[in-house]
Amino acid sequence: MSSDVMMGARPSGDVTALWDDVVAAVAEGHRFAGLFGTARPEGLVLTAHLAGAEGVTVAETVLPVTATSYPALTRRLGAAFWYEREIADMFGVIPQGHPRPEPLLLPQPAEGALRPRPGEPGGPVAIEPDPRALPLHVVGPGLFTIPHGPVRSGVMESIEYLVETPGEDIPHLNMRVFYKHRGLEKRFEGMTAGDGLLLAERVEGTATVAHALAYCHALERIAAADVPWAAALVRVLHAELERLACHLDVAVRLADAAGLAVATARFGRHKETVLRLVSRACGSRFGRGVVVPGGVSRLPLVSPADLLSDIGRLEGAVTADATALMGTASFLDRLRRTGPLSPERAREHGALGPVGKASGYSDDARDVRPYDAYPTLVLQQPAPWPAGDALDRLRVRWDEVSQSFHLLRQVAGELAQAPAGPLRAGCDVADGRSVGWAEAPQGEVLYDLRLEGGRLTRCRPRSASFHNLVLMHELFAGDILTDFPFIEASLGLSMAGVTR
Amino acid sequence: MTGFSDALAAGLGLLAAAAVVDLAAGARSRMVASLPYLIGAAGSVCLTVGGAGALAGYQARLWSAGVLGSGTAGLVADRLSGLFLVIAFGAAAWVSLGFAGWAHQGGTARRGLAATYALTLGAVAVFLTARDAFTLLFAWEMLTLAFYLLAGFEREKPGRPQAALITLAFGKSSGMALLAGLLLLAARSGSLTVASFAHVPPGMARTTAEALLMLGFVVKVGLVPFQVWLPPGYAAAPGPARAVMAGVAVNVGFYGLWRTLAVLGPPPGWLIGLLLVLAALTAVLGIAHAAVQVGLLRVIAYSSVENAGLILAGFGVAMVGAAIGDRLLVAAGLLAATLQMIAHTAAKSLLFTAAAGIESVFGTDDLDAVRGIARLSRWRGIGLAIGGLTLAGLPPTAGFVSEWFLLEALMQQFRVPGLGFRLVLAIAGAAVALTAGFAGVTFVRLIGMVVLGQPRSGDHPKLRDYRTGGRAAIVGLGAACLVLAALTPLEIRVVAAGLSPIVPAPLTSGALKSPWVLQPVFAGFSILSPSWLWIVMPALFLVVVLLTLGLSGRRLFRVRRVPAWRSATAGVTGSARYTVFGFANPTRRVLATVLHTRTEVRRIAPGGSATAAESAAGADRDGATAAHVGYTSDVIEPVEQYLYRPLLGPLLALGRAARRLQSGRLDAYLAYMLIALVAVLAVVIALA
Amino acid sequence: MWALRGLRDGVVTTRWPARPDPYAAAVRGPATVLDAYPADAGADGEGLGALCPTGAISRAEGPAGDGGIRLDQGKCVQCGRCVASRPDVFGWSEGSAAAALWRPGLVVPEVAETPERLAELRDGLRAKTAALRRSVHLRHVDAGSDGTEEWEILALLNPVYDMHRLGIFLTASPRHADILLVTGAGARGMAEPLRLTYDAMPAPKIVIAVGTDAVSGGLTSPSYATSGGIGAIVPVDVWLPGSPPAPFSILHALLLAIGRMP
Repeated sequence: MSSDVMMGARPSGDVTALWDDVVAAVAEGHRFAGLFGTARPEGLVLTAHLAGAEGVTVAETVLPVTATSYPALTRRLGAAFWYEREIADMFGVIPQGHPRPEPLLLPQPAEGALRPRPGEPGGPVAIEPDPRALPLHVVGPGLFTIPHGPVRSGVMESIEYLVETPGEDIPHLNMRVFYKHRGLEKRFEGMTAGDGLLLAERVEGTATVAHALAYCHALERIAAADVPWAAALVRVLHAELERLACHLDVAVRLADAAGLAVATARFGRHKETVLRLVSRACGSRFGRGVVVPGGVSRLPLVSPADLLSDIGRLEGAVTADATALMGTASFLDRLRRTGPLSPERAREHGALGPVGKASGYSDDARDVRPYDAYPTLVLQQPAPWPAGDALDRLRVRWDEVSQSFHLLRQVAGELAQAPAGPLRAGCDVADGRSVGWAEAPQGEVLYDLRLEGGRLTRCRPRSASFHNLVLMHELFAGDILTDFPFIEASLGLSMAGVTR
Repeated sequence: MTGFSDALAAGLGLLAAAAVVDLAAGARSRMVASLPYLIGAAGSVCLTVGGAGALAGYQARLWSAGVLGSGTAGLVADRLSGLFLVIAFGAAAWVSLGFAGWAHQGGTARRGLAATYALTLGAVAVFLTARDAFTLLFAWEMLTLAFYLLAGFEREKPGRPQAALITLAFGKSSGMALLAGLLLLAARSGSLTVASFAHVPPGMARTTAEALLMLGFVVKVGLVPFQVWLPPGYAAAPGPARAVMAGVAVNVGFYGLWRTLAVLGPPPGWLIGLLLVLAALTAVLGIAHAAVQVGLLRVIAYSSVENAGLILAGFGVAMVGAAIGDRLLVAAGLLAATLQMIAHTAAKSLLFTAAAGIESVFGTDDLDAVRGIARLSRWRGIGLAIGGLTLAGLPPTAGFVSEWFLLEALMQQFRVPGLGFRLVLAIAGAAVALTAGFAGVTFVRLIGMVVLGQPRSGDHPKLRDYRTGGRAAIVGLGAACLVLAALTPLEIRVVAAGLSPIVPAPLTSGALKSPWVLQPVFAGFSILSPSWLWIVMPALFLVVVLLTLGLSGRRLFRVRRVPAWRSATAGVTGSARYTVFGFANPTRRVLATVLHTRTEVRRIAPGGSATAAESAAGADRDGATAAHVGYTSDVIEPVEQYLYRPLLGPLLALGRAARRLQSGRLDAYLAYMLIALVAVLAVVIALA
Repeated sequence: MWALRGLRDGVVTTRWPARPDPYAAAVRGPATVLDAYPADAGADGEGLGALCPTGAISRAEGPAGDGGIRLDQGKCVQCGRCVASRPDVFGWSEGSAAAALWRPGLVVPEVAETPERLAELRDGLRAKTAALRRSVHLRHVDAGSDGTEEWEILALLNPVYDMHRLGIFLTASPRHADILLVTGAGARGMAEPLRLTYDAMPAPKIVIAVGTDAVSGGLTSPSYATSGGIGAIVPVDVWLPGSPPAPFSILHALLLAIGRMP
């Protein structure tokens, strides 16, 4: 792997200096990629990830065991808004100066509550969320709150939106995401690397391959293993097919919201074709069991020639339907100027994936920190769009779809000529700590692993959905209630990845 | 004097007795407090009987010529007066019962309210039966005084003094217009009797006088641009006094207009056109405001403005008919207007009676605060629901019938020659149809959210339900709203008899196509049968219920109660349901040009208060950190804003200048008197 | 314009279950036991059990047990480890008939009293759903899934599966719903909303646990935030394993629930 992971530690207890480093790095052009805590015997380790052109930098410091609070990073770097709330939920330490220190994933009373404390062996058997600890959403005069969720009106993942409205506009939106919290970070602890891979695939099922890739990259970095060429190609194949499926799903949801029944049906059918292709290739419709540490478990069960013809047919059909969809004026009217995200905001927050690209901010991990076969394949990165509304997010997705088809054709061609050989490099490690990443359809996924004695002591999956969902608060400039499904669908995020 | 004259005398006498009892005994105890109203109810019944007799053609008069120096005539009730007596005092009897019930349950601690109420009713009775200009003006001024006293009764509450003052101002202006008009006519005809005014030769004087008279009357009923006193005036009066003001006493204005048409005939065409356009405007403006008001009493008061517009639109049709000489059109217009007036009387009295006492208990009449009235006080809820349905014009209430007649009368515009009349009739028709839709929205909001809604959680003030008196009022007036629809043929015959001074009864009775089927006086246009509706609608409902029972068997009664489905939310504090304020937002937006809606969204700091500095600083912070926002939406009264406010400045300056005349020096006043005397002498000599 | 486009590819809808469908027959279900008494069973019992990350493989011990290998499909997350390392003992079950009407019915090979119990349950379910046979409405609740089960349920709406042709519809409110589809491992945050949804549905109602997570908690249990499947929160009528179950399996479970599966 060409990109690197740089570790940097700060003197223990000096959180402010760590934040200085982080803010300085962001000012220099790095992207703030995450913040999390680990409970170690020496205290609470706060780890920040910074992504740049040369790789991912890990900067951490240790809070003393007795510390109950620390100065918040959110005051200086708004992108840490939800990360610090999560740390408060998991460990019970309060970020001082955080503008909204409310429970995010685990509503518990501020004092004396059980906390999961990932990184610490053992832990509570059951923690019931306490709804009384939920923040009082006092609305201003003239407004009332429409609670939308957690049981939503279609087949959707559970999240609650509190829409504060005077009756038509949505001047404000609040979210409650704690409903689906499964406590996976604690579940990882004590697992072997192999079991951990199984769990990583199920953190965010619609991005199964990306999560598996990120997890395996971390392990391969620890073991310094080199993935064989054929395995790298197969990995790219499944990753790109997954990207196709996700973007087609977004198209289905948008067409459904706009009431275009034929478009919904056609894109639904194309998505089904992709999933059936994946299941023909590996036995699972979502690419489960393909990516293993060191390589892949098997070659595709579909011959490269068949792959090429299937992909060609699919590309023709999808491109034709996409062109027709982007020419339907009534559809475009619903998306134009809906849910705009300003470029400054996108850059400030480090918006990932198509959401960022639509607002002019592009940090595609396949391009900037490439992995597997991406350094060799031709990526053809399209230009970012400027306006940042729902229409641009859809346009970015179509660009990525054609990019994926291009990559898939290259992969199929290369697979036909790939030399036979082992499909996985040796990757048995007992101890180590590293970071792996992959570009999921929603954006970049980061895994931070720590192995001790062959078992995971900390595995932190940071999905793009968690990073991007907080932007939902500010997409409703002047939109009305009926624009809501378009904005939500245009983000294309998975709540399972948000709440883990 | 026949028995009906006795009835009139008895009625007036009982009203006087009620006033005396109140002033003497006052609010000594609950029983004594309600006594004057019961006496007043009896008086109203007597006056109704007298009016019914007059309708039937019997003689009903008090005082012959010459008694008490009152000039050439006394109080005589002819058929038109009889009709209005029946309408006004038929409602007043029930309202008095409601008043008695309200007084029994607490009412007001001060004496004088019943006396003022008696004064109002007495003034109405005298006006309706007056035969000469002096008595008319006397009754009018008494009514203005009574309104002023009613509006200012609770003068320690905020806003009341201003409301009383504006009521007085407009009342005085209308009195001034009446005075000028009547004196002009008296000068031309040489006598004070109203009947003699019919012989004034047509010309500038007659036209001006007619215009002035109509001006005075339309100020009373609240035509644009004189409607600004209605909402504050009505809302300021205590308890069921609002019902007396808005339901009973407002009919004198309509009586005046009807009588003007009877005596003086139609005014010139331009005045008719102006009246029709203003009526249309009034109806639209009234309902537009009623749909978006935040206070219960204001909603009902603006509905009065709307109904004034509707009734005057019907009256306009009648005037057009009189101007072109088509008596069928006159009959159609007057019938529609009178039916609408009857329905409005019953419904408005019912609404204000049902709304009595809410504001004093809750401290506010804000619709969001008084939600769930039906659960707190069932009888009030029933009253508000029936009154609301009637004013919304929904079958099978009387409001539906009258609205039908009104629209049908306006649709006869194709029979009118000449583009001018047709145009204004078309405008009026379009406006009336528009108001029907918005009336539905207004009363759906009232009935659905305020009456049937859930009361605010937490403890709310205890609203005592009505006892005998109040229940009687609600039953009586509610029954009137509903039963009158079924008995519309009978009602039409009564109205036809009452309108005979203007248009012959057989013409008006032409609205009865067959004993139970109605048509808008013109044959072959369209028909309606509210009586059949009253049979068919319940029958259909019964059929549905029986079908449901039959198909589902006993399962219909096995009920498992679960909380309302709210997408399984963990709950929100504060308002989580559609607020009454928010329900009117689409109307505010759609009618933004009429209402001049302004909205504003401010970010509020998590502390709760919104300072300008904090909101400015937080304005560009991302939405995630700004905890909540505040939203305000305001509508303004365009007439008040653009017509009266600019005039207020110069008017006050004029008043200040005039105050300099009140120097307090005796010699100045003597000088004024001398100057006035000399001026009068000069004028008399010049005119002689 | 879109109407013509829609006619372009003809009919792509499957005729299953009226006619067989090759994809439906080839669906990979949970792992199954091919040989319950392998030659080296005696010493290797524990080793076989250790193959499964969720502990689905066990040995039938006790008075009723006969020492054979048992695999609880309700716990199988389809990782394939057992199939890959012992292809003589374990294999994939193929076909869409993965659902069962009672929880022990998911243990393969079947225990003796399973067929009678199943027939009893099937008749009970049939009686309950007599009125729903031709038209049934679904409500879905996500109690902590990973997102794939929702995709598979939504796939039933695309023109390839088109569950509308079978009279099955999705509805927005539980008040109109007959069948409650629950996915996810029973996240504690969703326990109360799930109960509220179940209570809000009028009788007769059926609950289908869709996916291994819902049946037994899958790989996410034991966790402080999940409750080992939704069986502890609402009474379940049909158990459907699979990680995630394929759309044909979900369709089979639905038809089984309303008694249309022969």
